[in-house]
Amino acid sequence: MSVFAVNKICRDALHDLAFREAVKRDPATAIAARDLTTEERNALLAGDVAWLYEHGCHPFLMSYLTRWSLFGLRPAVYTERIRKAHDARDD
Amino acid sequence: MAEIVAGFGMPHNPGAPALVLRDGPQSETARYYAEMAKELAAAAPDVVIIFTDDHFNTFFLDNFPTFAVGIAETTSGPNDQTPMPHYNVAVPGALAAHIRDGAIARGFDIALVQDFEVDHAVMVPLHFLTPGMKIPVLPIFINCLAPPLPTAQRCFALGEAVRAAITEWPQPLRVAAIGSGSFSLEIGGPKIPVGDRAACTPDPQWSQHVQDLLGAMRIGELVAEATTARMLRAGNIGGELLNWIALLGLIGAHKPVNILPQDDHGQAFVAWRWN
Repeated sequence: MSVFAVNKICRDALHDLAFREAVKRDPATAIAARDLTTEERNALLAGDVAWLYEHGCHPFLMSYLTRWSLFGLRPAVYTERIRKAHDARDD
Repeated sequence: MAEIVAGFGMPHNPGAPALVLRDGPQSETARYYAEMAKELAAAAPDVVIIFTDDHFNTFFLDNFPTFAVGIAETTSGPNDQTPMPHYNVAVPGALAAHIRDGAIARGFDIALVQDFEVDHAVMVPLHFLTPGMKIPVLPIFINCLAPPLPTAQRCFALGEAVRAAITEWPQPLRVAAIGSGSFSLEIGGPKIPVGDRAACTPDPQWSQHVQDLLGAMRIGELVAEATTARMLRAGNIGGELLNWIALLGLIGAHKPVNILPQDDHGQAFVAWRWN
């Protein structure tokens, strides 16, 4: 259930200014100590929000990342990628 | 004996205070909140109860209550960097404890929160409705955002249980209530179109339909239709309708005196008054 750690990173990006600035400077170093699986770490650093969504990350929390384009997620990039996620609501 | 004197439903977009500052008092959002404020002032409540959903600010996923009531003497907010004034506001702590007791006696095991701030879902409506923050506010938190959500039936019954507890309060007290939230809203999810905004209104028809049922007092149908699957098809924030459904359980069967739709935004402003 380390998806919790990804959600926590998104929340901390809003609430923890020092963490947010650290992610802006060097994303990999900023999240190095976080308890993530290799897949989660790679997805986050690649800004693969579709994969993160499909693995349980909350989209409301992930949307914070676009406010500061963290992990390369400018709004136009985020919106283009998230649309490719499988949406279980449509099943 | 305490009595419930009015009910209100409205959205809580975090951008609304800044939008109104920019666009002025004649903007639609300013006018609609002002209409609600006018009705609230006419109802002259001593206390406002607000059914609200925390957006992972007061609580987080390590400990996320389905239902919680704030029992304190004061609270403050917003605690989520919403661009608006920061307020302190009194909480009617004794009444809040009485409501928790009464709800638990009726089968609702509501979580207790005693040291808390609130986010934009409480403070944006209050900013417009009680700008001096002179009316104490009692927040009741419902999980509208992190499935599995409580059922609409359960939220309606929660409102009924809160009403029963209020009517057992021995002192004279005028109570108004707010349900906070949107009907159709997607934030950060796969339904948003490519562009510069990480939010959209996927299902304005659902928003219109909800308002039709509210206006016609077809509340049983609304509760039956508001399954988690249906609400979330209207957007991953669509569960906020549960705050409104709890409000409906609390106020009982009354016809709205004012419905102000913003269907392009999947939301509406609604007032109920009956005395």
